[in-house]
Amino acid sequence: MENPIVGARRADWRSYAVALVITTAIFATALYASNYFNERRIAEIRTTQDNISIDILSLETQFDLLAEHSCRDISENSVLSKEIRPLAERLSYLETQRSVDESELLRLKRYYSLLQIKDLLLMKKVATKCSLKPVFILYFYSNEGDCKDCENQGYALTALSEKYPQLRIYSFDYNLDISALQTLLSINDVENKLPALSINDKMYYGFRNIQDIEKVLPQLATLDKAASSTRKSAR
Amino acid sequence: MPEIGISGDIIYTLLFISLYFEVFLLVSFLERRAERFRPQGGGNGAGALPRVAIVIPCFNEERTLASTIESVLALRYPRELLEAIVVDDGSTDGTLRVAKQYEGREGVRIFHKENGGKHTALNLALTETTADLIGCLDADSTVGPDALMRIVPVFDNKDVSAVTPGIHVKNPKTMLQHVQDAEYNLSVFNRFMLAALGSAFITPGPFSIFRTQTVRDLGGWRHGHSTEDMEMALRMQAGGHLIANAPSATVHTSTPRTLPELFRQRVRWTYGFLRNALDYRFMLGNRAYGNLGLMILPLALVSVGAGIYFFIHVLWYWLERLYDLILRIQITGAFPHPSLDLFYINTSALWFLVYIAIALILVLICTGSWIGTGKRMPPVGTPLFILFYSFLTPLWLGTAVFRALFKTGVEWR
Repeated sequence: MENPIVGARRADWRSYAVALVITTAIFATALYASNYFNERRIAEIRTTQDNISIDILSLETQFDLLAEHSCRDISENSVLSKEIRPLAERLSYLETQRSVDESELLRLKRYYSLLQIKDLLLMKKVATKCSLKPVFILYFYSNEGDCKDCENQGYALTALSEKYPQLRIYSFDYNLDISALQTLLSINDVENKLPALSINDKMYYGFRNIQDIEKVLPQLATLDKAASSTRKSAR
Repeated sequence: MPEIGISGDIIYTLLFISLYFEVFLLVSFLERRAERFRPQGGGNGAGALPRVAIVIPCFNEERTLASTIESVLALRYPRELLEAIVVDDGSTDGTLRVAKQYEGREGVRIFHKENGGKHTALNLALTETTADLIGCLDADSTVGPDALMRIVPVFDNKDVSAVTPGIHVKNPKTMLQHVQDAEYNLSVFNRFMLAALGSAFITPGPFSIFRTQTVRDLGGWRHGHSTEDMEMALRMQAGGHLIANAPSATVHTSTPRTLPELFRQRVRWTYGFLRNALDYRFMLGNRAYGNLGLMILPLALVSVGAGIYFFIHVLWYWLERLYDLILRIQITGAFPHPSLDLFYINTSALWFLVYIAIALILVLICTGSWIGTGKRMPPVGTPLFILFYSFLTPLWLGTAVFRALFKTGVEWR
């Protein structure tokens, strides 16, 4: 390394080209690696959704057989798998990732929404037959930049679901193009004033904080007590 | 970080350009390494040694001037062929008194003049010397005993008009100086490669040596927006002169100890670069100037913009996150606990590319260390350099761009 060095003035086209090829290869590898991990995430979500689908199908079958079985076999918790709650967060996270296949992601979101609707309907049926009193909220949002309070409403609902683990929150992207969702919107007369909450069959528009929701949903207190008594009786 | 949309596209484009530049330098290095770094034009040092004048321009340098002069006098070079020209540029402290202590020593000449800037001090020496080669040594730097003997043989190549040394941080003490130590190792590599590519655009103040006649032909040093070393190099490039680099010619220079000092110095450097690049804009994209016009100058300019853009982007991202966090705490009344779910580990291409870019910088620093000192290990300040420097740099880049746009000028200190 002792020798000093100097180059004549010229353009090193060969080096430009080699560097371009190597840089492109680095970029392609990084994109491939990122894509690979995102594919794995999508596969994970798909598996979870399939499991939920099986759970629902199982319960539907169980429901059909209700005549032959008692309601003891069906509890409020048997429908909505614990896995479904983090699914929304995971799907939201994937939406921020660049190399995720958008059509695949949309498909997963549609599937997720359908599962929620199915779960909701089934839960209502079970509740009627078995005299259960599930407490649930329908939440309609948009992530197309036209709903500045939707993110905050999401935070409030997440905190609420952590406070009341038995509370069921079904969240729907208002703009998702699924006929079942459109029907649900139409049945509930949901206007395009988001965020929107359907609580006890009544619509609430605009941001509602935790206290607001607790006020309009007094059953939450019962739910909390019920959860405590369940824990007590389990001892 | 958000990666979707126009801002994501710009980030990826800038990252591609940054990576491309690093890869280009490494590829060029490896290609030349294959050629075993043979000096072109037969620089074997076999010719008769030329007479050399080392100019020490100084303004209020009473603390460091003595060690600078001593280091010149300690150079292993025939005494009768070497002269040290100390030019006191109207100092208001004891600089002249320190210089006078060397008056009468063989080969030392002292001049005093009204303050006019570094370029005027250099030009005074240029008119006074009859040496074949003329060099500058800033009064805050000291030169290694073998440095001149490593540089002079390069001038055996008749096409070479200037040779730059390998510059290192002098006695790094503060954390900031250790960080700069790592940065200077990176600069050793960059300077080495730019010379190899025929694209050196700075002949740094600490111990760059020139053919005296070339400097005279070019009309001497100019103010060059307070960066006369950059202006001179660009003028030499414009005139078709070659600038070589001898990384084993070691020079140690004092570096800023505090952030405000560093900030002031870097604003001056960046401002000078931007204004000089503007003055020599005819080189940009011009094939006649080879790698310098096609690659180095355009990418150096892009890197200024990229540094600022990255900084603003990251800052904005974290401010948004902070705002969201505060809002969330207000809404939920609790601090959100971070998810430990492996699902959320960031595996975006952006992060992979940032890691690769950092790894490449580490390789370049190690290579610079190897070229400059023969050590393969990076300096101790390297982790801090990699972690924090990219957040500091935009501060002076932004200020320099602002000043360059409004032509405010910059101060030396």
